[in-house]
Amino acid sequence: MNPNSFQNYQTGHFFDEMFDGSNKSEAYDFYQPIYDRIGGLSASEFEEKKRQADSSFLEHGVTFTVYGDETGTERIFPFDLIPRVIPDAEWQRVEQGLRQRILALNLFLNDVYHGSKILADGVIPEEVVKSSAHFREEMIGFDVPRDIYVHVCGSDLIRDENGKYLVLEDNARCPSGASYLLENREIMKKTFPRTYQKMSVRSVEAYPEYLLRSLEYLSPRKSQKPVCVLLTPGVYNSAYFEHTFLARQMGIEIVEGKDLFAIDGFVYMRTTQGLVQVDVIYRRLDDEFLDPLFFNEESLLGVSGLMDAYLKGNVALANGIGTGVVDDKVTYAYVPEMIRYYLGQDPILEQVPTYLCWREQDRKFVLDNLSDLVVKSANESGGYGMLIGNASTQQERDEFATRIQEAPRDYIAQPIISLSRHPTFCPDGVEGRHVDLRPFILYGEDIEIVPGGLTRVALKKDSLVVNSSQGGGSKDTWVLKN
Amino acid sequence: MRLYILHKTYYRYPSPVRESFNELRLHPLTNDWQRCESCFVSVLPTAQMRQYLDLNGNLVHHFEIPNDHSKLMIESRSTMVTAKRVDFESFPYGTSMKSLKEVEGNPECRPYLQSSNFIDISPEIWRMAVDVQGSSKDVFQTAYQVMEHIYLNFEYSVSTTSVGTHANEVLEKKKGVCQDFAHAAIALCRCLGIPARYVSGYFYDPTRDQSMRGSGASHAWIEVLVNGSGWFGLDPTNNRVVDDNYVIIGSGRDYRDVAPVTGTYFGRAPESMKIDVEVKRLDS
Repeated sequence: MNPNSFQNYQTGHFFDEMFDGSNKSEAYDFYQPIYDRIGGLSASEFEEKKRQADSSFLEHGVTFTVYGDETGTERIFPFDLIPRVIPDAEWQRVEQGLRQRILALNLFLNDVYHGSKILADGVIPEEVVKSSAHFREEMIGFDVPRDIYVHVCGSDLIRDENGKYLVLEDNARCPSGASYLLENREIMKKTFPRTYQKMSVRSVEAYPEYLLRSLEYLSPRKSQKPVCVLLTPGVYNSAYFEHTFLARQMGIEIVEGKDLFAIDGFVYMRTTQGLVQVDVIYRRLDDEFLDPLFFNEESLLGVSGLMDAYLKGNVALANGIGTGVVDDKVTYAYVPEMIRYYLGQDPILEQVPTYLCWREQDRKFVLDNLSDLVVKSANESGGYGMLIGNASTQQERDEFATRIQEAPRDYIAQPIISLSRHPTFCPDGVEGRHVDLRPFILYGEDIEIVPGGLTRVALKKDSLVVNSSQGGGSKDTWVLKN
Repeated sequence: MRLYILHKTYYRYPSPVRESFNELRLHPLTNDWQRCESCFVSVLPTAQMRQYLDLNGNLVHHFEIPNDHSKLMIESRSTMVTAKRVDFESFPYGTSMKSLKEVEGNPECRPYLQSSNFIDISPEIWRMAVDVQGSSKDVFQTAYQVMEHIYLNFEYSVSTTSVGTHANEVLEKKKGVCQDFAHAAIALCRCLGIPARYVSGYFYDPTRDQSMRGSGASHAWIEVLVNGSGWFGLDPTNNRVVDDNYVIIGSGRDYRDVAPVTGTYFGRAPESMKIDVEVKRLDS
């Protein structure tokens, strides 16, 4: 009998997903099968499992690209075999909170591009929205198909010291990660089939189906089966694997800009059987690159005339144009106000308190307390452009202080939240690592959220940054039935 | 039972309308038999939403759209947990019709014993009600017979009546939809001295072939007061005692008190109105 590998696990001063901190040898009931099964593996058995999983990932081609890294750009996404478990009741609440949030975000985008009542009523300062880097004036007055702007949203959730779920940010442009969520599940099912079955885990495999359904819902041509395509920037994009994966799962064509062609306000796809009219484009390309005639004229990735077709209502885009306004971390600070305004109720999920550097009072506070705060650039994603106060050098802090003073609108600060930790296999045995959760919310005819999401884990010891581009890995997320 | 309800209402106007003031009763209530886990009510064009309770204890959403608009979309999404109030074996028999005298003067029952907007208390209806009652001396038994009478003798017909049809007309034509069936049943009950109220809500059709009525739209039924035991729901449209397949939004004297959408605006009548209701079971 091997000693259980969770035996010497230390929860530390953090909220732990698996162990109740007060009684550390006891895993929560809903983790018991995992405690028994994975804890009971010997080191060599575990190595074997790990090797199997890694080689499956490689076989499936589950890779991503790290920008600005010289050592082999394409990597497999590091994966940890200990799954995260979320009990049913906990998930219900999160799901409802997310539903409420995406409703409010959509209503807000609708409002911003149609009369801006919320700004006129002074709930959100007008300059915040109008100065956002992703605000698209071209969209004012345009009715997007089915009045939905954000069709796919990835909101990042974290848990604080007390285990309370908080929204960290919303990704309403092109959130990635859904393919890893699906692949992780496939591989976990193969690696621990019996444990998986015993725990009655809710399935996630309907994601591509839901996604396709919400794309088809947007089609301007009602009379025939909609032609949907996935528009990718190409093989050098960090999420190219995901693009091919989702297109294959949905059974739709994956296209690059040069495969599409717009004439007279209609978009066509070049195929071996001639041109085919396209109804819905699931684009995995930022707004600026979509149409060189409209946005960045140097973009080689887009399609000239695409925006013309979009504004004429002959082709639908998912996500819509101009959704980046809600990605902006300054707008994020106002989401609770949006929920109260449009839905007349309080937010179900709380979010992280945010200091806005363009407010003089906040800026002063931020500059005085740089070492106790996380400073983030308002419009960057993927963990770039960020300062973690207590892990920074004086030089870095000075640099950020100058940047904040030069462009206060572009920076926000948040208190450092010690994210919850989850037991994770590390070279020296099982140790706690910080995790977050990215659920994917699909908004079509109705709002669908596959149970759970992608749990990202910061593999470096004590690191709070979970982004894959910054050395993060992932775990499978098991939401239980009842 | 966990149920999810998506209720969408679209109005399209032939020319832009303005100064639209509306009240929505779309938020299901929470009582001992059903719990509202969440309910999101939203409108497009966007508007600031306010909430308050009305006199009947129903949650009302209020919004106004002052500017020109040519379409209006109202959506409500609710997640409900429901339980069965009574089983077949535990129907609340045992309260005699005579004891109804005691509740007559009770201020809480008075509104549900008198005429209201869509319901008249008249000798003709009383005559009809007495025939339905027959020899029954029990309150619940009598109310059950009223329900059964309507289910068996009235024709379910979508095209005969409108939202403004009075109970008198329904009782005369013996045709209508759930709203009319409920009004007719309330009229008969009230004439016999049984306090009866109108309930608006949703119905989940558990049958495989979707053979029950009222699941593709908002539904309506009645509740009668059995003194000593409280209010019990009866659905004359499906001849069914209300169980965990039903979700209550709210109740009132008649349709007027609990209409899902009411309001005023300046402009022409809608050229089209479309309602979609989807009730999904989450825990099967």
